[in-house]
Amino acid sequence: MSPAPAAALLAALGAAALLADRSAPPAAIALVLLVVCLRAKTPRRWVYLAGALLMSGSVLVLSPFLQSAGSHVLWSGPIVPVLGSLDVTREELAMAALQASRLAALSLAFTAYALLLDHDRLVQAAGFARRSTLAVALATRLLPTLERDAVGMLEALRGRGVALSGVRGRATLVSPLLAGSLERGLNLAEAMEARGYGRPGATRLPKARHNAWDAAALVAAVVVLVVGVLWL
Amino acid sequence: MNGLTFSYPDSPARTLTDVTLSIEPGERVVVLGGSGSGKSTLLRTLTGLVPHFHGGRFAGRVEIDGRDTRRERPADLAGTVACVFQDPEDQIVMTRVEAEVAFGLENLGTPPDAIAGLVRRALASVGAEHLVERRTSELSGGELQRVCLAAALALAPRLLLLDEPTSQVDPGGATAFFELLGDLPCAVVCAEQRPARALEWAERVLFLDGGRLELDAPVDEALDWLRAHRPAFLPRVPAVPSEPAFGPAVCRLDGVSYEGRVGETSLAVGRGEIVALVGPNGSGKTTLAKLAAGLLEPSTGGVELRGRAAYLSQDPGRYLVRERVEDEVALGSDGDLARARAALASVGLGGHERRHPRDLSSGERERLGLACVLVTKPDLLVLDEPTRGVDPERKDRLAELLRAGRDGRATLVLTHDLVFAGEVADRLFSLDEVREPALA
Repeated sequence: MSPAPAAALLAALGAAALLADRSAPPAAIALVLLVVCLRAKTPRRWVYLAGALLMSGSVLVLSPFLQSAGSHVLWSGPIVPVLGSLDVTREELAMAALQASRLAALSLAFTAYALLLDHDRLVQAAGFARRSTLAVALATRLLPTLERDAVGMLEALRGRGVALSGVRGRATLVSPLLAGSLERGLNLAEAMEARGYGRPGATRLPKARHNAWDAAALVAAVVVLVVGVLWL
Repeated sequence: MNGLTFSYPDSPARTLTDVTLSIEPGERVVVLGGSGSGKSTLLRTLTGLVPHFHGGRFAGRVEIDGRDTRRERPADLAGTVACVFQDPEDQIVMTRVEAEVAFGLENLGTPPDAIAGLVRRALASVGAEHLVERRTSELSGGELQRVCLAAALALAPRLLLLDEPTSQVDPGGATAFFELLGDLPCAVVCAEQRPARALEWAERVLFLDGGRLELDAPVDEALDWLRAHRPAFLPRVPAVPSEPAFGPAVCRLDGVSYEGRVGETSLAVGRGEIVALVGPNGSGKTTLAKLAAGLLEPSTGGVELRGRAAYLSQDPGRYLVRERVEDEVALGSDGDLARARAALASVGLGGHERRHPRDLSSGERERLGLACVLVTKPDLLVLDEPTRGVDPERKDRLAELLRAGRDGRATLVLTHDLVFAGEVADRLFSLDEVREPALA
């Protein structure tokens, strides 16, 4: 399948998950996307999947304690300053499940985009927003680059006899990692300018022809969106 | 280039001073000089990136094919000039090789139907046609370098600029690279820190020192000048050290292997001994070094380490975590700033203690990385490509430094630089089985 119809289908699935007002449809979408993401052959998929599941799990666990909604109390907790009563109601649990499944579906759609799509062909296929598409494609590379730099940094520090442990220890890496990625960004911008980026009259490699799978994906994207608007 | 004087923003010192030169069509020019002498800046002035991208104070005039670089932006000069920067990883824009080589052609407005053919021709010209469908993230350093060269050649430039293009490749790869450059129809200006092959290839030599052009001469004349003034830059025949193994062993690798990257290998390094670990790209040098330093656990075999190991990774400048140079070094001395300053002085970075590590030049960062491991006073010191981006005079001083402090430790040096290996090591250990994991 070409990347542009695949991206459209992923975007439609994400939109449908956001439009749903019950937790079952986005949970089903998340499950389908999880299966799709597991097909990625790179070991990096575990970083993305762990991030997606951690975020949605945190929303599921924490948000009932942070909301005050509903009248069917399942558990009564203490009153905490600032947060108020830590009661958990059936309505809060339902809301938490909906938000968590929406977040899971969205983050898994992004994971599928990052791991499975050919970003070069997506850039080539972009008819009117090539600069934006290229910016998104380059930003998508930020996460794996940061991950690789973090591993290298931890290893370099171990090689110097410095062991960082715990969240606070690892948090000290955030600033140098960001500084490093800014440096990389500057080097890349310099190389792009030297290669004529931004010159008027740019052309592009001819796009690959669309096949039946591409047409099916586009139709499916429209159907998913319509179903999301009308029924979910 | 006429009377060019340039300094970077916020820098009081001039990076280039009153440089005047001209490059004729088809000329092959090598630029030599120490770290921080202005070689990379000189190349950037020829692309227009200086002053347009970097800013700074710019006096004098640079014309490329009759076009003034103060008026023309680098993107407008692209095609007439093409550049391959020092670190290929930092210049890769796209995720696939075909799209990467096509990127410049697209920007220049090449007719779409012609792009694919030009991409393949450029890849074929550097012997990399088989990589066309590959992902750039899967390529080895040598392969990436070829792809970057192909991306530059695809533009059919009149002037090709190369900034230390062989810094990451093994001797065989470096020889192959200069062979590729031999037949190019354009003028080529190449900055290099390993001068031997570059001097064989070039017709003319420029030597920069402190931003001033000290020499602009044909190769024969330049060799005489180098012999008289900067002998460290002369080509040298690598010595082959073969001292017997010292005892007792600080580190002993006994039939170790690691996930197919290192086959069964045994090696012992004794206290007071310096061993150079050499071999082509992909032969498993770095993996073996990490096994020796205890950073990896072997799949089979055993590692015996007596004492503490310190490992200096490749490109240590990327992995600096503190805001000040002395604090960075003090990380390895339990915060002892006096020891940190002494380690900095030993690598020639005295006076830089309070600077931000990322404000240092690439060569200075390499030396900062060395200070960071020396300060730990290790029993086993492992250095992975410590001469990358380091000029020949600094390499000599590094060899002296390592030999002066050898008695208290065992030292394992991984290097592609056989001249450096010959000067620093008591013994060579070669992993000469050529294996490129990316091609497997």
